[in-house]
Amino acid sequence: MSITLTMPRLSDTMEQGTIIKWNVKEGDEVASGAVVADVETDKATMEMQVYDDGVVAKILVGEGTQVPVGTAIALIAEDGEDPGSVTDGGATPAPAAAPVADAAPAAEPAPAPAPSAPASPAATPAVTPSSGGGRMRVSPVARRLAEEHGVDLASVTGSGPGGRIIKRDILERVEQSTSAGTVGGGVPMPVATPMAASAAAPATTMPVVREVPALESTEVQVSGMRQTIARRLVESKQTVPHYQVKMCFAMDALLDLREQLNAKLAGEGVKLSVNDFIVRACALAMAEHPMFNASWAGDRILVHGRVNVGVAVALSEERGGGLVVATIRDANLKSLRMISAETRALATKARDKGLSTEEMSDSTFTISNLGMFGVDDFTAIINPPNSAILACGAAIEKPVVRDHQLAVGWEMAANLSLDHRVIDGAMAARYLGTLKSMIEEPMRLLA
Amino acid sequence: MSERIIEFRDALREAMSQEMRRDKKVFLLGEEVAQYDGAYKVSRGMLEEFGPRRIIDTPISESGFAGMAIGAAMMGLRPIVEFMSWSFSLVAADPILNNAPKMLYMSGGQFGCPIVFRGNDGAGGQLGSTHSWCVEGLYSNVPGLKMAIPAFPDDAKGLLATAIRDDDPVFFLESERMLGLQGHVPEGDHLVPFGQAIVRREGTDVTLVSFGRPVHFCLEAAEELAKEGISCEVIDGRTIRPLDIDTIVKSVKKTNSCVVVDQSWSFGSPGSEIAAQVHAHCFDDLDNHVMRVHSADVPTPYAWNLEQEYLPNARRIAEAVRSALYVA
Repeated sequence: MSITLTMPRLSDTMEQGTIIKWNVKEGDEVASGAVVADVETDKATMEMQVYDDGVVAKILVGEGTQVPVGTAIALIAEDGEDPGSVTDGGATPAPAAAPVADAAPAAEPAPAPAPSAPASPAATPAVTPSSGGGRMRVSPVARRLAEEHGVDLASVTGSGPGGRIIKRDILERVEQSTSAGTVGGGVPMPVATPMAASAAAPATTMPVVREVPALESTEVQVSGMRQTIARRLVESKQTVPHYQVKMCFAMDALLDLREQLNAKLAGEGVKLSVNDFIVRACALAMAEHPMFNASWAGDRILVHGRVNVGVAVALSEERGGGLVVATIRDANLKSLRMISAETRALATKARDKGLSTEEMSDSTFTISNLGMFGVDDFTAIINPPNSAILACGAAIEKPVVRDHQLAVGWEMAANLSLDHRVIDGAMAARYLGTLKSMIEEPMRLLA
Repeated sequence: MSERIIEFRDALREAMSQEMRRDKKVFLLGEEVAQYDGAYKVSRGMLEEFGPRRIIDTPISESGFAGMAIGAAMMGLRPIVEFMSWSFSLVAADPILNNAPKMLYMSGGQFGCPIVFRGNDGAGGQLGSTHSWCVEGLYSNVPGLKMAIPAFPDDAKGLLATAIRDDDPVFFLESERMLGLQGHVPEGDHLVPFGQAIVRREGTDVTLVSFGRPVHFCLEAAEELAKEGISCEVIDGRTIRPLDIDTIVKSVKKTNSCVVVDQSWSFGSPGSEIAAQVHAHCFDDLDNHVMRVHSADVPTPYAWNLEQEYLPNARRIAEAVRSALYVA
């Protein structure tokens, strides 16, 4: 009797899963414990193990296809069983079969596998959008050149076989951007532009056709992560009564301290960011203001016993974009260098292979920092069940008044978004006051 | 550069004669090398100068005289063994592959084997499949030997002199199609070091890598492709073992594209080895996978037109270059 693999429930809230990648193909032998596929849940990409020995007889759900939890996704032939004789029919467990807690529901018709790249025997390479649902095909040097010139690969149509993006495609894009004085996506479209009058131009009003990039209408398939972001933030913005309170902090002392520490600790591999100081300051301030470490629970407020600060991490556009919140647990008990190392490790892991559910859960407060992009001021949407999120801009050198004198100093705007069910305006002002004193006298963050 | 122009075969003789005058341990043996002046007149006049003890006519018995020469090399002489064709070396496979390249290793360093095996390699022109062997693929597979394969007369002299002075067995591959090729060759001592490829033509769009006679096919293809606006860099590898991968990598990093042209069959060949090494060293620099042009995967045909089509000729090279550059 063959074994049916079903879409597993890999997190409490998971209802659907997408097969990102099969690590086995039909005919492969598998042993119990082997990771057969990577599955994207609503939260993360996780590895799917198989719990029996056998031979993969049939793969029912192709890469890139989303199916509900419990759907049959592959059939495994058991020892001694002919993989060729295993059929879809066998995958449907008889209703009378002994019920098992995790028994698969009746197998649903397998969805069509994701379309694979068309095999085009034609002499002229088939030009297909390489940014479609599947894997993007890019020659290694084209990928490198795109990075060097800041070309978004998703916006380039590959002219190589199977839509492969090749060196020529990138160089043409760069050339167009340079000559047209514009950058960005779109397929070049010939447009008529009147020729500027100049001594060199012939005396005629004939328009010349010039290649300039134009925009293109396309549909973008959304990932499970993008769907989660959409669902949770709509829920937050619709149900949480948001309001914002903003304060500017003098950053001169903190930047000086950071420079000194980084110079002294460079040999130990320590490189503190401004954000690391803010994480620590927010965590310490929360210990003083417990309502900032709390959640609205319908008819009561849950005040949490641990201070877990979430740090929003943006993922690269090239890999589908999106953002995740990495959790620094017990941030009030951790030193700057611990916070720094942990944040950097989690951010790298988030960008390279994704975070585990545990690494993204249980935050009690979130910080979103766009300072590194030069943003001076913005507001953020609360990350439920948090009651507050701090949006930090860049530390900017500007004219300031210090001791009744006009001076040049560094300032950073911090914008708190708050849940009015939990935190009132005056409470927010006091919390920002505590934060201000810590950031402006940053020695306190070292203790 | 020397003003003097001589033939490829004269350059080979000059290297042997100069080394024999320089070192009394050097001697030449092979079929018809003495009284007949060599089947291809490479050793013309050498019997007269060096006498029958150093220019030795052998019976038609490659296994015997190759084995004898290996024994002489082990005892300290420096033999040059001429195979009329490398095709005939196959009957001497045991001594030349199983003894010469392994001797230093198997004797724990007690016996070296400073010997040069040389002769014509590859299709000579309607010689049929058994006499048209390219031995690069078969023999370069063996560790312990060196392999040189000159494409021009000056390298024929310079590489052969280096081969004779080298303390390891050197497989020296010539071609009867090139023996009459003329070129500037320096007089006096002229040594070309092993493991140093040379750029025969500079270009920017694609790197062509080849050895021996097909270097000329590459130059011909490059000339043709230039008319289409494609700029080829042509690298003459000169020695297969040791292989100068650095020169190849440097060029591929510039052109982002590579076509290897090798007159041996494709399966398990110098071409496949170079392709693998380029993929390993230049992965992020390549715009397409490395393409290879080899002799067709069949025994060498006898018919003239089929033999021409079988070889990695300029037309086939140009097609591979266009394909590598995605030019339909």
